[in-house]
Amino acid sequence: MNVIGTATLVRRELDRSQRVAVQAIITPWLSAGLFMLVFGKIVGARIGDIGGASYVEFVLPGVLMMNLLSAAFMQSCSALYFQRFLKNIEEVLIAPFSYDEMILAFVFSGMMRGFIIAAGILGIGLLFGATGVAHPLWFVFFLVVVALLFSLLGLLVGLWANGFEQLSLFPTFLITPLTFLGGMFNTPEMLPPAVRPLLALNPFWYMIDGLRYAMIGTGDSNHLVGAAFLIILAAASFLLVRQLFARGWRLRT
Amino acid sequence: MTPALHVDNLVKRYGEKTAVDGVSFTLAPGEFFGFLGPNGAGKTTTINCVVGVTKITSGAIRVFGHDVVTDYRAARTQIGLSPQDFNIDPFVSTAKLLDYVGGYYGVRAPERKERITRLLLDFEMMPYKDQPFRTLSGGQKRRVSLARALVHQPDLIILDEPTAGVDVELRRDLWGWLKELNAKGKTILLTSHYLEEVQALCSRIGIIRQGKIAFLGPKDELVRDGKTLEESYLEITARS
Repeated sequence: MNVIGTATLVRRELDRSQRVAVQAIITPWLSAGLFMLVFGKIVGARIGDIGGASYVEFVLPGVLMMNLLSAAFMQSCSALYFQRFLKNIEEVLIAPFSYDEMILAFVFSGMMRGFIIAAGILGIGLLFGATGVAHPLWFVFFLVVVALLFSLLGLLVGLWANGFEQLSLFPTFLITPLTFLGGMFNTPEMLPPAVRPLLALNPFWYMIDGLRYAMIGTGDSNHLVGAAFLIILAAASFLLVRQLFARGWRLRT
Repeated sequence: MTPALHVDNLVKRYGEKTAVDGVSFTLAPGEFFGFLGPNGAGKTTTINCVVGVTKITSGAIRVFGHDVVTDYRAARTQIGLSPQDFNIDPFVSTAKLLDYVGGYYGVRAPERKERITRLLLDFEMMPYKDQPFRTLSGGQKRRVSLARALVHQPDLIILDEPTAGVDVELRRDLWGWLKELNAKGKTILLTSHYLEEVQALCSRIGIIRQGKIAFLGPKDELVRDGKTLEESYLEITARS
């Protein structure tokens, strides 16, 4: 294995994020802080406790999950897309990397950015008094699997996109609506009865509610089903990414 | 002796279009080879097949005996490429770029640092080492592209029009650097539209026309009987 090469590719990608630190790191922290302040504290004061947890504690997992998956997605997506766009992906293609090493480096850098964002939001959560991690292993599991899944999805979009507008399609029309509709601010009981069954079809529901179970100890979804669902999605995404890299789809002419 | 580069019946098709049609040639270690042809003849496609940017339709390519598809790690470690277009991140500095690319090839940090210092000095880029690539002049960019091709100390150096768009002074400097590299035993494959450059540097020449090798032989064969290289080249590329 090309260990030095793979580590260098990860370092390069993290350096690239640092060049745009305000956009890549500060903005999600600021937006998470505002979510916590407005929805968690101000609106939450009128809502009261949910399942024994304060509304701030209830909201934090959703805010954390949304920012984690967005960061992981954007990191790997922009890394690959911009390298394709600027053609400096050729530096990587002609170097002695296997496809798996390329994927590993892009995915790992995506996960790292996701974890940096998540760590900052946890710190913001502490400021708002939301401190609990009831099930640490589940907490780690959901963070790792979701960061992995969205780094892989970022690579798929980074390969597929042929213009800047296409880069924003997935976040705008999939990630944001499905996260907001995935129980970020509400329990299933708060929804109209006719809509509740649809939650089970929303993968973001399992991510948010699974992390909520890990942090406050209660949740409405079956977290084992959610975990299995996320593992299958991540495995399928990896196989698809690997297949596309091996074919050189939109990488090699 | 194992050839530095052996291209065997290379074919590259894009759909119905055949860009490279059964190209074969061999470079001996230490050779300075000129690869000529009109625009669109298949030079860059052949090079891209050698380095792995382009997938081969059929045929085989070996670099110092290593197949570029099945034994790609060993093959790619031996190749340094300075491409026709600048495919460099415009926001990255020269020093960082060389550090990254050295790392890609598995060069350890202390060794990388030493090599980068040497390259920056050799190419007179030390004063500009921390400047983003986009802020450099055309000639400086060419030097960075060449330094990048050398940072992992490859034995086969492929230069796709390395002097395109650079001034006369820098072109002469580049010639000097290339001669020096060749004198150190590096094998060089050079494409250029400047025939005086090819005449000054190369010992053997291949001419590709419409995806096929139209001439392959020593430079002297093209410049005998009072003919200039340009006259011979135009005669070969004009043949139907």
